[in-house]
Amino acid sequence: MSETVTFKLNGKDVTVPKGTTVMEAARRENVEIPHFCWHPGLSVAGVCRFCMVKVEGRPKLEIACNLQATNGMDVKTDTEEAKSAHKWALEFHLINHPLDCPICDQAGECGLQDYYMSVGKYQSQMTRPKVLKPKMLDVGRDLVLDTERCILCSRCVRFEEEVTKTGALGIFDRGDRAIIGTYPGEKIDHNYQTNLVDICPVGAFTSRDFRFKQRVWFLKDKPAVCPGCSTGCSVDVYGKPETRSYFRLKPRKGEANGHWMCDKGRHMYSHLNQDVRLRTALTTDAQGRRKDTNFAGAIEDLGKRIAAVNPATDVALLVSAQHTSEEYKSLFDFFVGELGIKKVFQWREPTEKIDAFDGLLYRGDHNANTSGLLSALKEAGLAAGLKNEFDAVASSGAKIVIAVTPEVPSTFPSFEQQLNRLTELDFVSFWTLAGSVADNKKTKHAIPMKGFPEKKGTFINHEGKAGKLDSPFPCPVADGRDLTEIIAALKQWRHSHGSR
Amino acid sequence: MAVVKVPLPPIDSNVFSAGWGYITTIAAGMWKTLAIFTVQLLKIEKTNTLEWPEQAATYSDRFKGKHFLTLRDDGEVRCTACFLCATNCPADCIHIEAGNHPDNELEKFPVRFEIDILRCVFCGYCEEACPVDAIRLGPEYAMVGTNGGKWVYTKEYLAERKQLSGGVISVKDENEKHPIVEAPKGSRNAKQIKSYARHGIH
Amino acid sequence: MGDTLTKVKITTAFEGKPNARALKTYVDNGGYAGLKKAFTMQPGQVIDEVKAAGLRGRGGAGFPTGMKWSFVPKDDKGPKYIICNNDESEPGTFKDRYITECNPHMILEGMIIAGFAIGANKGYIYTRYDFFEEIKWLETAIREAYDAGFLGDNILGTGFKFHIDHYAGAGAYICGEETGLLSSLEGKKGQPKLKPPFPAISGYLHRPTIVNNTETLAAVPWIINHGAAAHKTMGTEKSPGTKLFCLSGRVKRPGVYELPLGYPIEKLINEDAGGMLPGYNIKACIPGGSSAPILTAEELKGLTLDYEAIAAKGSMLGSGAIMIIDDSMSMVELLKVTVDFYHHESCGQCTPCREGTGWLANIMTGIMAGQGKKDDLQRMFEISRNMEGKTICALSDAAAMPTKSIVTKFGAEIADFIERGKRA
Repeated sequence: MSETVTFKLNGKDVTVPKGTTVMEAARRENVEIPHFCWHPGLSVAGVCRFCMVKVEGRPKLEIACNLQATNGMDVKTDTEEAKSAHKWALEFHLINHPLDCPICDQAGECGLQDYYMSVGKYQSQMTRPKVLKPKMLDVGRDLVLDTERCILCSRCVRFEEEVTKTGALGIFDRGDRAIIGTYPGEKIDHNYQTNLVDICPVGAFTSRDFRFKQRVWFLKDKPAVCPGCSTGCSVDVYGKPETRSYFRLKPRKGEANGHWMCDKGRHMYSHLNQDVRLRTALTTDAQGRRKDTNFAGAIEDLGKRIAAVNPATDVALLVSAQHTSEEYKSLFDFFVGELGIKKVFQWREPTEKIDAFDGLLYRGDHNANTSGLLSALKEAGLAAGLKNEFDAVASSGAKIVIAVTPEVPSTFPSFEQQLNRLTELDFVSFWTLAGSVADNKKTKHAIPMKGFPEKKGTFINHEGKAGKLDSPFPCPVADGRDLTEIIAALKQWRHSHGSR
Repeated sequence: MAVVKVPLPPIDSNVFSAGWGYITTIAAGMWKTLAIFTVQLLKIEKTNTLEWPEQAATYSDRFKGKHFLTLRDDGEVRCTACFLCATNCPADCIHIEAGNHPDNELEKFPVRFEIDILRCVFCGYCEEACPVDAIRLGPEYAMVGTNGGKWVYTKEYLAERKQLSGGVISVKDENEKHPIVEAPKGSRNAKQIKSYARHGIH
Repeated sequence: MGDTLTKVKITTAFEGKPNARALKTYVDNGGYAGLKKAFTMQPGQVIDEVKAAGLRGRGGAGFPTGMKWSFVPKDDKGPKYIICNNDESEPGTFKDRYITECNPHMILEGMIIAGFAIGANKGYIYTRYDFFEEIKWLETAIREAYDAGFLGDNILGTGFKFHIDHYAGAGAYICGEETGLLSSLEGKKGQPKLKPPFPAISGYLHRPTIVNNTETLAAVPWIINHGAAAHKTMGTEKSPGTKLFCLSGRVKRPGVYELPLGYPIEKLINEDAGGMLPGYNIKACIPGGSSAPILTAEELKGLTLDYEAIAAKGSMLGSGAIMIIDDSMSMVELLKVTVDFYHHESCGQCTPCREGTGWLANIMTGIMAGQGKKDDLQRMFEISRNMEGKTICALSDAAAMPTKSIVTKFGAEIADFIERGKRA
């Protein structure tokens, strides 16, 4: 059993494992100690001098992030001395900070703004001209660096050294002339750049992708799981429900990903916006003319076609591994269980390197729920190997193919090509998010689907751990449905039209 | 419940309520109208009615009329697309799209700045919220148009207001802005800024 | 208090001798006798002797040296390190270079004894790079010591190993701070490290390390040779021994004076240094390097040069750099030079020092340019007060303390300057 220590935090007894710092203990107890340079995923720097607390018996204030709790220690975070120290820490941080709030993306989630309103609210005494430094520098694919806004907390330097182990950032010069930067001629060039934007407490590092798109106080965030690969990082999706649009993803602390996520996952919102989505269901009438219709109309059309053939030999199911386990269960229960379909194929990317791993988070299996799909196939009594059976669909001789496409076209480089090949078949019903399905004139039938942050369900990651989606946004496409809803509607149509 | 006997009210005896009351009332009214008509026609008495549009109404300097966007010395709109006006607006009628300005000094500017003037309640909260004195509610009150006309004022329309007296250049001193390459003379780290720009900090 | 007429010279024993730096001169005059004596003792006894002698760190902090040595874990198998802090950058201080000029071997001997005491086999001397001559002298001395068998794998046949390497800094005041020095020695930016852990537990390359000032180490051989009791006959009870004082300013004979602690400062200025140059009077005195709070001429009356007496007056003995400010000097200029120095030298790691030193320098720039405001003095006092005690190292305190004292004691002169500056 590991050793514990008990100490007093603001009068309350707290027991923690030996070696825990006061800052970590306070976090666990939901006691706010203001800080800039401390981060739970990085080493302790102790340079901002903001997290000062009073320890009984010691003459000077101590920083909480480097203070190991010992038995009997009496720590107070709210004495007059500590409060004054917090105010002056803010004063020192702000005296040379530029008045950039109107043009800075960090406004609304800025450490300086938030702490000034909670522990500051003092009258500044700075009346002299401020120190000027270079602004708006390009230091990476997704990074814009403003060295004047930087408060030199060194979180980014430590991230580069400890997490990505690339060491691309340093602090140059000294004193109040010190600036963050990369080495001459170099840029940051890895798959984890936007984490620097997240950890920067102020607007020194901002995301070029998100730059000026929206003010953050208009956004709502909901927890989800990234659908980009089989790691299944916990994320927060940021959208504006009033306009049904999405703007960005940020990592959430999770078992699979720690505090970080990769840059590839950052783009997992762009496929959800209305301009690239399938906006209405599509059917084709008897004369071969295509028309937009609503969900009920599409179900009616599909139900009729399926009823007119023998499902066991004439219907094939092509399914990708990017949907939730609950959706797969309902899909197979209906098609295999009820209809008795035998032709079930997996849609995987032919160029994928499934065992690739970049050493940190990003894996070569660009599907969120391969494990879920395989176990659902096994449960349904089907072959459950890891192979791309796309070609087998064409030669299966099926009259009707239900193609449950990958949700995120960017994870499947051959997506467009394969879509085109499918449209050559007799009759394919696309159940998809991708607007390119509607652009293709040969598409005969399509049902729009919900994206990952718009439905509830579970993704199983490469380790077999489950990631929950349980906080849905309203779907921007009115007729968008997830697989369970489509299946329920089909079932209902069949039963109301007297089928077994 | 007992019945209470209420006596009849006393009969007024003035000329308007007697049997001939309706004739006297009509005559009094017509006399009133004629008197005022004559007095005003002969300009003996002044009226408060303005003969619009020959006579224009004047309002105080604080009157909140049609919005306009102020300009800087170089002709660009002062607005930095900070969205404070849009956030503060109780009618949710300001729509802004921000963009990257090619000039490093300005950095952010509104690509689109639109006010849906039919939604606007002319409260002035946007003027109050603006940190850079970019939007003001001016003295113009005559806003006319037809059904289906242009009721969403764009940035160009809001900024182009040569007819306003006193101009729309804000008095704020633009020279407070700092350069990225040339530091002001005597600034303490002018040499460093120059060298960073020359070598590029990255 | 010891006999003020004692002329015992510990660290400047070789001052004035011909060929003083040569090994032969050193050995012929009793050099390396302390080392030989130390080898007859147990390492623990050496530490106890230094503790008993009451030797205090001569770099500025005045921490008891023997106590510092005793913090090193005794059962640690090593490697451990002795570092000689020869990065003399405190403004007004020039004693360590003088020791190097007089007898560099005394430093080496001190280091070897210290290494023996704590169980270290490696020593580094960290000298500021612009001590060009001193570096040459030290390296020559090291070579001589190796050749004579005082350094190496088997010193004087005892089997004790000790090697010394010399390392030059690159011109930063902050590398005189012990953990700043360690960072620089490790090849990184000379930025101080968080304490705890303290260097005696985890220092150079995370190993137990003792960092001592040059003068401190140079005093060790005499103490071991003559004993703690002899050391305590000089100086005061709490500040025993002798110290090098660096007297500068418009006195007739400025320079390095080795005197027993507790020596009256007026005697030093008026007798030993010959008094002020004709036409100048003392206005103020900074007793311990620019980081020490300033004392007015009044406060010098009856003051003795030891840690306690000066602390009682609200200042500190520090490095012993006594800077005499005469009445031709402007306190505004003095304050400007002081804050500019700390602004330039701040490493920039922690916010109160980085921004505070910059702010103070900024305000002084404004005052010099005639833009001073009436409440600038009050503002500088408050900034200084809030810079103190909040930082990783003491540079912030070193900037704050003189500012507070000058602004308080000479506020009238500065306020008058601000007024005139506005009218000009």
